[in-house]
Amino acid sequence: MFDAFFVQQLVNGFSVGLVYALIAIGFTLIFGVLNVVNFAHGEVYMVGAYAGVVLITALAPPLVAVVLFVMAVGAVAGFGLERLAFKPFRRFQDEASLKSKAMREATLLSSLAVSIIVREVVEKVFGGAMRPVPFESQLTDPVQIGELSFSTGQFVIFGAAVAMFAGLQFLLYRTRIGLSIRAVANNPLGAKYVGIDTDRTIIATFVVGSVMGAVAGILVALYYGSVFPTMGFAPGVKAFVAMVMGGLSSIPGAVICAIFLGLAEAVATEFLAQGWSEMIAYGFLLLTLIFFPTGLFGGARDRV
Amino acid sequence: MSKRILPLALPLVVALAVLVLVPALLQASGSGYLFRVSITAMIFAILAASLNFITGVAGLLSLGHAAFYGIGAYAAALLATQHGVPFLLTIPLAGVAAAIGGVLVALPTMRLVSIYFAVATLGMGEIIHGTLLNWVDFTRGPMGIPAIPSFKVFGLDLSGNLGSYLVVAVVMLASLWVLHRLTHSYYGNALRALREDDQCADSMGIDVVRLKGEVFAIACFFAGVAGALWAHTTGYISPNDFRFGESILVLAMIVVGGLGSLPGAVIGAVLLIVLPEALRPVGDVRMIVVGCVMFFSILLLPKGLFGEVSALNLVRSSFGGGWKAGTARQSIGWR
Repeated sequence: MFDAFFVQQLVNGFSVGLVYALIAIGFTLIFGVLNVVNFAHGEVYMVGAYAGVVLITALAPPLVAVVLFVMAVGAVAGFGLERLAFKPFRRFQDEASLKSKAMREATLLSSLAVSIIVREVVEKVFGGAMRPVPFESQLTDPVQIGELSFSTGQFVIFGAAVAMFAGLQFLLYRTRIGLSIRAVANNPLGAKYVGIDTDRTIIATFVVGSVMGAVAGILVALYYGSVFPTMGFAPGVKAFVAMVMGGLSSIPGAVICAIFLGLAEAVATEFLAQGWSEMIAYGFLLLTLIFFPTGLFGGARDRV
Repeated sequence: MSKRILPLALPLVVALAVLVLVPALLQASGSGYLFRVSITAMIFAILAASLNFITGVAGLLSLGHAAFYGIGAYAAALLATQHGVPFLLTIPLAGVAAAIGGVLVALPTMRLVSIYFAVATLGMGEIIHGTLLNWVDFTRGPMGIPAIPSFKVFGLDLSGNLGSYLVVAVVMLASLWVLHRLTHSYYGNALRALREDDQCADSMGIDVVRLKGEVFAIACFFAGVAGALWAHTTGYISPNDFRFGESILVLAMIVVGGLGSLPGAVIGAVLLIVLPEALRPVGDVRMIVVGCVMFFSILLLPKGLFGEVSALNLVRSSFGGGWKAGTARQSIGWR
């Protein structure tokens, strides 16, 4: 069973899991701060991928420039998304309405609506079909190590995931804006009372989360070699599953669960047809919700 | 005397409009395309009304409603094509199949609330869609099921435009009437209590778990009926008709119409089916329109076009005298 092919599958699953993790971090950050689900997060991932591919097709710059450009696009997307789909519903600033059910459902639906509009507009502009990434820029060069063959994309994804995870930890625990993000996540009203600009902190959270999502998008586009308008949906849902499994506000938990999901899907392709293994994540979601409603790594939390 | 007749006025007007006026106009226009659009609008009216029963009235945000619609459609299609069951039986059987599916979904997700419930139903919807897509031996997978017979009953051929329209219209009116009676009753009051605060409702002696299961069974029954109508009127179904996008479309309908409002759900369904068709000359912008309408209605009309309060007032004043203030000038509530 543990032959080279199986290990190869595990490696592939691990890199898919890292991608889910990058998306899940953004989800978890936003959920932790606002207690709302950002359904448009998958679209940020898609927009990042498209922005990168458009830049590559036009100018073919080096990878670092592409990533920097995509980060900027992600930041703008996160800012716009917050202004458009979340800010209008934060009419009142007290804690009860910041975390109220009505607010949660209104933003859930508005982010869903924004995600539909963005996806359909991208489909109108670029067409619904898969759009290939120029071959020179694809990160698919094989790297042979012993019996195993990796692709450069896997190393890039791994490197980027580690770098971004470390950067996030630095941002959250070593900078002032990180401190205010943690404060707002803990208690929005209290944070406001001690003089933290809640609005700015929420925007910062969206920008950070969206930058990570957008970078994940372009890396995946280069790794798989194509982009398409609905590419954000499945990874978005799986990242959400990882967040729920990890216990909602725990970023390390979400990362571990995302990697676990990626591995589980890769292993499942050993035993199941492709279509069925896509559904593994949903099965895990239901199992977690039923048996571990507080998540695998989460502390105590409100009733689910 | 007039008090007894008046309550029947509105339902009669609606029934006359749907069963006589609209088909007469459509027949006069002689356009099969317009018939097709109206049939689709009526099927989605059933779907929206049934989702409204779960999401609007009972407050359980469901993101997987298209899956039950799909179960109903596949049940009807398979029964009709492989076993030759007539449509009078396939429609209720499709409803029952979807209701069983709904209860099976509701059982494990019963204790989840708000967003967790929404995501669990999303997951369930994707699992059911994946099953329809991948269980090729049973559902023919992505190839879909062609040649589903149209409506025929007792040698009477109802497969023409007018016949299909009338069958769908009658089923829609019956479904809406049942949902109306359930929504605007003590039973509906219990569901609204569940929506506002399920722990409080529980402590008041409302059996929350049983109620959630029943709500799912009833709403999924009607979603299944809508699926059966869809299968019989289009003659061909494939898993693509029952994706996440359709769930969102139905959700957008009830959000636009007003969560918790039955007339609102019907208005939303008609609007979101007819509007994109009317905009067809501009280009195929169906989902963009849906997204924009949904976004602006949440932003500008959070209560919807025909909000729950207006709907309840309308029902109070126009349907049945039982809700009027009694002789003791005391409101006697909903029956």
